[in-house]
Amino acid sequence: MNVQWWCSARGIPWKWQWQPYPGVWLAVLALGAAYFRLSRPSATGAHEAPSSTGRRIGGWIGVALVWMALDWPGGPLGTGYLASVHAAQFLALAMIAPPLLLRGIDGDRLRALFERNGAAAKIIRALTTPLFAMIMFTLVMLGTHAVLIVDTLMRTQLGAFALDLAWFLSGLAFWWPVVIDVPLRAHFGPPMRMLYLFAGTQAHLYLSMWLLLAEYPAYGIYELAPRVTALSALEDQQVAGGLLLTLGGTYVLAVISVLFFRWFAEPQPDA
Amino acid sequence: MTLTSHHTSRALFALTLLSAMLALAGCGVSAESGGKAFRGTTLAHALPRPSFTLADVHGQPFDFRAKTDDTVTLLFFGYLNCPDVCPVHMTNIAAVMRNLPYDVTGKVRVVFITTDPARDTPEKLGAWLANFDPSFIGLRGTPEQVKAIEKSVDVAPAALGAPDSSGAYDVGHAAQVIAFTRDDSAHVVYPFGTRQMDWAHDLPLLVQVK
Repeated sequence: MNVQWWCSARGIPWKWQWQPYPGVWLAVLALGAAYFRLSRPSATGAHEAPSSTGRRIGGWIGVALVWMALDWPGGPLGTGYLASVHAAQFLALAMIAPPLLLRGIDGDRLRALFERNGAAAKIIRALTTPLFAMIMFTLVMLGTHAVLIVDTLMRTQLGAFALDLAWFLSGLAFWWPVVIDVPLRAHFGPPMRMLYLFAGTQAHLYLSMWLLLAEYPAYGIYELAPRVTALSALEDQQVAGGLLLTLGGTYVLAVISVLFFRWFAEPQPDA
Repeated sequence: MTLTSHHTSRALFALTLLSAMLALAGCGVSAESGGKAFRGTTLAHALPRPSFTLADVHGQPFDFRAKTDDTVTLLFFGYLNCPDVCPVHMTNIAAVMRNLPYDVTGKVRVVFITTDPARDTPEKLGAWLANFDPSFIGLRGTPEQVKAIEKSVDVAPAALGAPDSSGAYDVGHAAQVIAFTRDDSAHVVYPFGTRQMDWAHDLPLLVQVK
């Protein structure tokens, strides 16, 4: 058996035959180990913001989502055959899994980690500065959906790995200031978070409209791949755009709504 | 809960944000091609339109030269069990033909010659091509006839692979579509990898060649 360590577009006919992707397993194991370490309630912390069981389970669902997005069959289907699955992978890796994982992290443990490791704290603080994170997320989103980049990188395992990693890391950085208050950003309250989410997902909307309205398939790897479903390459691309627009758009709107109603219900500050 | 001015301003903020989201979601972009050079591979020496007669999917003789005269004829050699090249080429050409105006598509013929006549019966060939576009023409001949035609248009002859345990076999065949223009010559061929955007760009230009 010709083992691939990461999924890439191979241009061969699709078979519903399981394939191992050891690189994916290692990456998910590493993610799971890191999450396990960071989500355990701190024994020494002040327990100002202990992570609830629900949040911790949500984080494990995030780990499972990452695994499902990268491993067989979703991984190879999205990498080399179906733009619609590729769009679902993007939503899982950059939009849904990161906030689930971040919500499950124990705040006290994170604060302790920041205090112990100043260099790492500085780097994370810089990368998760809202403006920087938003610009990076937008640039990664646009760059990783550029036709030339997708058609070039997805043909190699290293290139496909780089795209997946870019989505996940930029997603973590983007969602960090919305979900986590470490470091504390007093000026970044609920209204700013809502605006931030709105502005940071605009590229997402434009991309979905471009995929929906394009006259011909945009990506060569999906257009020239042997068909897996009865959908044509263009129809599959329209499903991808529709998923990004409806599922992605609804999801962001739902998160903004939750932020709003929590903010709305907050006690009125004293005049 | 009693609504206060504090709550009203927050509600207004949310409404403004929602309106902006909806307004921006309504905006879109579309892709368009430009330029005039052919996107296919230009041949160093033009190929003359060949003369041959094979049976069509109804079993009737099809005189290629006479029946495709004064048209852009896209000639391709392939087989129905082909897992990749043949269906992708046919799908892409058909998709573009559906989008182009009739003054272009009315002058284009797509001719598919099977390189696996043993399995590609007239009925199967006709049904398979009709799945892509009912106007596509399927032709069958003996292996010797097909080889002679392949030789006349400078493509490598198809070769049957060794059958597997179930008796299935692949057929190695040329992957390019040869485009004969209305001057009875082929100046451009389209290898596997030709995109729908490329066909959409080139077909209107090919129709103009005379």
